[in-house]
Amino acid sequence: MATAAPPAPPATPQLRGVQPLRAGEGHSFFWRRLHSLTGIVPIGAFLVEHIISNFEAINGPLAYAQQVKFLNSLPLVRLLEWAFIFIPLAYHALYGVFIAVRGRSNVNVYPWAGNWMYLTQRITGIIALLYIGQHVWRQRFSGVMLPEHPGAAFAKVQHELSNPWMLAIYVIAMIATTWHFAYGIWLFAAKWGITPGDKARKRFGYVCAAGGAGLCLMGLISIYAFVGPKYQNAPEDVMPEQPAGITLPAPENPVSGSTNPAPSSLQQ
Amino acid sequence: MPSTIKVEIKRQSSPDSSPITEKFEIPYRPGMNITSLLGEIALNPVDVTGKSTTPITYDSNCLEEICGSCAMLINGKASMACSALVDKLTGPNKDQTITLAPLSKFPVVRDLAVDRSVLFENLKKVKAWVPIDGTYDLGTGPRQFPQVQEQRYPLSNCISCCCCMEVCPQFNDVTNFVGAATIAQAKLFNMDPAGAVLAEDRLRALAGDGGIQECGFAQNCVQACPKGLPLTEAISDMGRDVFVQQVKDLFTR
Repeated sequence: MATAAPPAPPATPQLRGVQPLRAGEGHSFFWRRLHSLTGIVPIGAFLVEHIISNFEAINGPLAYAQQVKFLNSLPLVRLLEWAFIFIPLAYHALYGVFIAVRGRSNVNVYPWAGNWMYLTQRITGIIALLYIGQHVWRQRFSGVMLPEHPGAAFAKVQHELSNPWMLAIYVIAMIATTWHFAYGIWLFAAKWGITPGDKARKRFGYVCAAGGAGLCLMGLISIYAFVGPKYQNAPEDVMPEQPAGITLPAPENPVSGSTNPAPSSLQQ
Repeated sequence: MPSTIKVEIKRQSSPDSSPITEKFEIPYRPGMNITSLLGEIALNPVDVTGKSTTPITYDSNCLEEICGSCAMLINGKASMACSALVDKLTGPNKDQTITLAPLSKFPVVRDLAVDRSVLFENLKKVKAWVPIDGTYDLGTGPRQFPQVQEQRYPLSNCISCCCCMEVCPQFNDVTNFVGAATIAQAKLFNMDPAGAVLAEDRLRALAGDGGIQECGFAQNCVQACPKGLPLTEAISDMGRDVFVQQVKDLFTR
C-alpha cells in the first residue's frame, strides 16, 4: 500500500529584526525559572531571616552577639552558608544582570506603572548587587572574623555605620533590597501562574507592599540601633575569650548562698 | 477650530534606504482619524514646502480596528491608525504636530508599512490552530461549554496588530521574545476542546528559547492592546501550564 509522505512543513523564512520563537530549543526556560525561584528560596528566605536577626540589635550589643553566635553554631554552618546563601546569591545576581542588559526599557514612551516597576526591579537589583558585594566582603570576609568572635559583631557594624557615606549606602540599599524582594515575590506569583487574575494580582500586590514595607522598616530600625544614642561606643567585644578556669568543674565546697549545686558524686 | 493639521511622517522608500521625515499641513475636517488624514495626503501628496511627493504607504484593510494591519507609532506610541482620532492627538490647543512613524521593532517595507511576519511565524511555532484538516470526515466537534466560550472569547479578539510586541521591553532582537499575542493564542487553542489535542506541543514550544520565560511582566502589552485582551492573565496561566508540562516531561519522557 502506497503511503504518501506527509508534506514537509514549510521552512521558516529568513526574517529581519526580531526572530521567531525557537520552539522547544535551548534551556533558558530552566535557567530563567531557577533565577525566579532562587530569589524566593533561599535568597528571599535568608533576607527575611537576616533582617529579623539584625532586629535584635535594638536589644543591644549582647543580644546581637547572641544572635550571631546562635547562627554560627548551626550544624554544618559553613556548608549552609555556601549552599543556601553565597552560591544561589551569586547565580541570582549574575543571571539578573544578564536579564537586565537584555531588556530595552521604554518608560520614556510608555510611562505606565507596570513599566516603571519593570525598570525599578532592574535598578534595585543592580543596587542590591553592588551593596551586597561590598557588604559580604567588608562584614563577612575582612576585619574581625565574626564566626570566631561573635561578641565583636555590634562594634564592627557600628564602626562601619559611623561613616555617614556608609550609613547612606546602607539606608539606600535597605530600601532597594526590600523593594526588589517584595516586587520579586509579586512577580514570582504572577509569572508562575499563582495569581493569574487581575484582582488576585492587585490584592497580592497590597500584601507584598505591606510585607516589603514592614521588612524595610525593621531594617531601618536596626540601622538606627547602631547609630542612635542608646548604644553609642559599644564595647569592642561583648563575649571576650573566657579565662581557662571557667571551664573547670564547680568548686567542691561552695560558699553558702551560692547558686552552684553541690558537686556530683562523679566529681567527688 | 484650527483650519489645518500639521503632520510629520517618518518615511523610507525601501527596506534598506535611510529614513527621512516629511512634513505636511492638511485641511482640517471634524472627526478625522489618521486613516482619513493619510487619505488627504494621498489625494494631494504635496509637503509643507509645496514640494510634490508620493502618497504615504501603509497597511490597511478594514478601517474599523478589526483587521489589525494599520498599527503604527502615532505621536511615538503604538496605536491603530483607523481608531486614532486627530482631535485627541493635537493637544489641548489643537495646534500640535502629529508625528507618524512605522513600528520600531519590525523591519520596514516602505514608509509606515512594516513586515510583521515574525508574529505569523510564532503562531505557526505554537500551532495556534485547531487540527481539523483531514482526508476523512471527522464528525461533529466536541461540545464546548459556554463557560469555556466566555473565557476564550476575549482571547479570540486578537487582531494580530503587534502593538503588544512593539511596546514590550523584552521584545527585541537580543531576547527574540515570542510576545504576548502568541502566548494568548496558545491559551485560546489549548482551551478549545478540539485544539487541546496539541496542548502539550504548544506548552513545549513556549518553553523554547525566546519563550514565555522572557516575559518581564512590565504589563505594557495589556495596556497597549487595542482590543483589550487579558494578555497578562494569559501569560500567567500559560506560565504555570508550561512549568507543569516541563516538570511532567522531566519525569515521564
